[in-house]
Amino acid sequence: MPANWGYVIAAYGIAAAALFGYWRRLARRAHAIGARPRAAAKTRAA
Amino acid sequence: MTRVLGWLAALGLLAGLAAGFGYAPREAVQGNVQRIMYLHVPSVLTAYLAFALVLLGSIAYLATRRPGWDRLAGSAAEIGVLFTGITIVSGSIWGKPTWGTWWTWDARLTSTAVLFCVYVGYLLLRSLIDDPEARGRYAAVVGILGAVNIPIVHFSVKWWRALHQPSTILGPEPAPIDPAIGLALFVNWVAFTLLFAYFLSRRMEIARLEEQT
Repeated sequence: MPANWGYVIAAYGIAAAALFGYWRRLARRAHAIGARPRAAAKTRAA
Repeated sequence: MTRVLGWLAALGLLAGLAAGFGYAPREAVQGNVQRIMYLHVPSVLTAYLAFALVLLGSIAYLATRRPGWDRLAGSAAEIGVLFTGITIVSGSIWGKPTWGTWWTWDARLTSTAVLFCVYVGYLLLRSLIDDPEARGRYAAVVGILGAVNIPIVHFSVKWWRALHQPSTILGPEPAPIDPAIGLALFVNWVAFTLLFAYFLSRRMEIARLEEQT
């Protein structure tokens, strides 16, 4: 049986990219929600 | 709590990589490509867990109409779709060197693809309805009906003649695998479960804050 490391690296690489991408997406959404009340407060203050 | 879960998941994933690539031996028949199992099997078990929570959240929402249950169902479905996608892609990559094909319309593969499509549809439905009460109600019905597919996926290799191997670890007999391979699989399963708990905690918190703003 050949080593087939290319398939192993591809599988783990794609999974890592998907999980990291989802984690980044959650972080961006959390950041956007955190920014929203602050922006609204600034508008009210003005 | 969420931060602790995140660190535990990160440590678990590192331990899983060490177990899968350092501790577990090279499989005698398939060679190194069998190491995809430490990604593929924990992914599908995590997806099962996610969709079981969708079912729980859906039933509880219809019974109580509390928004928290709908948040649980919607958040778990999103993460379940992510892990089902990883399962399908990693399985396809594993299939090429072992079966000689990226994809075949085998019962297990087909039912998993249907499972993926059902929950993508569930998420689309949620995104199309603005009224939270109506969204929760319709999504709960789809969430309950969609769960019917989970036992079909799991038992498909028993009910139909399939190219995919039968269940090794959730089968009725003791798992016929090397203890080192079994341990590496267990470590990765724990790591994926922790990662799921972390994602779920963050996603539910975001959903709660989105409802308030």
